[in-house]
Amino acid sequence: MIITRIFSKLRGKSANLEGDAYYTAGQMALIKARFKRKTTGVIAAWILGSIIFMGFFAGFFSPVDPTISGADKDYRRGAPQVVYFWDQNGFSFRPFTYTYQKEKAKIDLSALAGGGLAALDALTSSGALTSSSQNKYLIDEDKRRYLTFFVKGWEYSLIDLSMAGLDLDLRWDRHLFGVETGQIHLMGTDEDGKDVFSRTLHAIWITISIAIVALVVKLITSLFVGGVSGYFGGRVDTIMMSITEAVRVIPPIPIYLACAVALSQMDLTSIQRYFAIAVVIGALDFATLGRRLRTHILTERNQDYVLAAQLCGASTWRIIWRHLVPSFGSYIIVDTLINFPYVILAETSLSFLGLGLTEPVNSLGVLLQKAQDPDIQQNMIWQFFPVAVFVALIMAFVFVGDALRDAADPYAEKK
Amino acid sequence: MHVIANFIADTWLLWILLSIGGLLFWKGISSQYFNYVFNRYVLALITLLIVSGIVFSLMEVLPGDCAEKYIAYKNTQGETITQADIAAERARMGLDQPLAVRWASWVTDLTLRGDLGFSCAKRQSVNLALGDRFWLSFMFCMVGLIFAYVIAVPFGILSAFTINKGWQDKNPQHTKSERIINTLGLSFNKLLDLQLRIISYLGLALPNFLLALSIILLYVFAGEPTPTGLFSEQWKSVPWFGETGFEFGKLQDFLGHIWLPIFVIGWSATALQLQTVRALVVDESNKLYVDAARARGVDGMALWAGYPVRHSISPLFNSVGFDFQRIFNDLPIVAVVIGLTDAAALLIEALAQTNDQELAAGILFLVALVVISMNFITDIVLAAIDPRVRKSVLGN
Repeated sequence: MIITRIFSKLRGKSANLEGDAYYTAGQMALIKARFKRKTTGVIAAWILGSIIFMGFFAGFFSPVDPTISGADKDYRRGAPQVVYFWDQNGFSFRPFTYTYQKEKAKIDLSALAGGGLAALDALTSSGALTSSSQNKYLIDEDKRRYLTFFVKGWEYSLIDLSMAGLDLDLRWDRHLFGVETGQIHLMGTDEDGKDVFSRTLHAIWITISIAIVALVVKLITSLFVGGVSGYFGGRVDTIMMSITEAVRVIPPIPIYLACAVALSQMDLTSIQRYFAIAVVIGALDFATLGRRLRTHILTERNQDYVLAAQLCGASTWRIIWRHLVPSFGSYIIVDTLINFPYVILAETSLSFLGLGLTEPVNSLGVLLQKAQDPDIQQNMIWQFFPVAVFVALIMAFVFVGDALRDAADPYAEKK
Repeated sequence: MHVIANFIADTWLLWILLSIGGLLFWKGISSQYFNYVFNRYVLALITLLIVSGIVFSLMEVLPGDCAEKYIAYKNTQGETITQADIAAERARMGLDQPLAVRWASWVTDLTLRGDLGFSCAKRQSVNLALGDRFWLSFMFCMVGLIFAYVIAVPFGILSAFTINKGWQDKNPQHTKSERIINTLGLSFNKLLDLQLRIISYLGLALPNFLLALSIILLYVFAGEPTPTGLFSEQWKSVPWFGETGFEFGKLQDFLGHIWLPIFVIGWSATALQLQTVRALVVDESNKLYVDAARARGVDGMALWAGYPVRHSISPLFNSVGFDFQRIFNDLPIVAVVIGLTDAAALLIEALAQTNDQELAAGILFLVALVVISMNFITDIVLAAIDPRVRKSVLGN
């Protein structure tokens, strides 16, 4: 099998833990080694990594400013501009695209001169006045526009940590590719002339960062619930667990919806709203993980190593952080990764109903919401590009999560 | 006589609950199993009480209350309304009471006679507003669940079977031709598994609303009437039992529409179920008793069906309640896209459009009720038939 061989090369030598190294390896190293043996998981991880990388450095990879200021007024509702290497005019090493010229809409108004309403009706129903027939473009195959690489363009912030409270905002104006004159729209434009490709790239990171915030909040609440319940046990445990059990049986999406409706009444900026939604999604999702952590702590706290640490005079906090948390750290990481797609799906469901993020924010949910517009379904099928990216992203996450789940299971392998 | 009949009619549910509890308690004195059942019963009721508290207080976050809505309605009728009117209305409806008091009265009505309260937007009791719609949603979820199980269980087992196998047979004890045949078989299994996983995960990765939308789009492009709603226009007003007996045309039309929501919610549920089945079977197949059976000479299908698969059925059965909850979770958005008129669609309407607190709380409570009863039933059934569970819950 050539493919397997290529992949075993890609994995490198560290993939196989031999002999003593296997028995002394830490939990994380074992998981890593087992993960690298799963071909589908490794492929999915590469795809996932590149999607996230492109999303994180969206400014660099996207040729056009995705906000309204970068909208192309001369290319609204435009189809994707294809990149060629050769055509009937000859071959070129530099890829190029054609020049697109807006077709002057020819509307015959002379029939209206008589003032007849029937003529007006006929004109309206002929479809000549719809926006898609008003925005037709002629391709000029003789005027090539060559692609340029590492081109100077609009300024963007490469890394912006001002949100995290740090005074670091790295700005740059180079882009991976651009075109000599005008703008290039690899995946066409939407009804305002905003570039679909650039919007999608920018949306990836927003969606993923919501998921990260939600998962961090989820982790904190689960740790709190599981930790308190497991460490104190007894009556506290009983009360906490019956509440958790009750939360677990209520379907979450309607609850998110109720919270989102409440949020939409408040006067929030889009950034605040964005975080509020992430926090709501994360905070209400503690039941499963919290229960698992509680069971884990209940069994672990009676282990000998905890007793040994107590006899050595370690404080409660030290025992929790240095002894108990590392014992299930890898489990938490794996569980978090597995939960990524579900959190993203929750966010998109809310945005789809118009209760999550809304235009002009670029999130995958907002872009997916457009798919229900019949105008886009019939005339601008290229606006389904975010759907494809979204599906690829979730699929990659699910496959990586699946492989990780197998890799993290200590009993999955017989040695 | 009349008074007693009224009294019974007003408190019938409480008597049923109490008599079930009493019966279980009485049986539990002599039998350890019924003692366990009684404990589970009490626990389920307590969970329900907590659920009702959570649901009821969460609905407080929805803006507006009944009095404001009622007054706003009057306002559209041309009456001028003052703030004092709203306050008076609120006092009349009992909305000026603190949350705990209102919740207590809601729960009391519920436990006494199964009354879920009053829907402001619909101006009728929640029970009436829901009517058969809840059963419709329930049936959707159940059929979707069965769909998911029918696909996920066999293919999850297949997936688990191939998980730790390589693409090649490298066993040096086999002859060369055996190795080639085994390699072909393994590759076929691996490829089939990969394909199935891609298809089923596609169900997960394509959000339900997109899946429903794309199917509807295909119908639009093909120029066929879309299968939205439950019936097409032609059959909507036709009763099930017409003059010529049962209307088979209506049934056919109904089946022509009903597959879409079931397929859509079933697909994503299948993906999750597949993961669970796979994980469960893999877990079991690595246990020592499987090795012991293999050492005794049990092989092939007999080994798989008799040992790891058989043992992973009961945890799977145990999760039916939560699977139902997960499927219902997806239903509202699908209902919006497909234009269904079931309880899930009503829930979305109550939450996002009319802000109808009691209706939304009622639906959520009913879903939780179904999940809790399913958990209760699976718990007691498993304790009765699975010796492992019986041992762990009953002690000996």
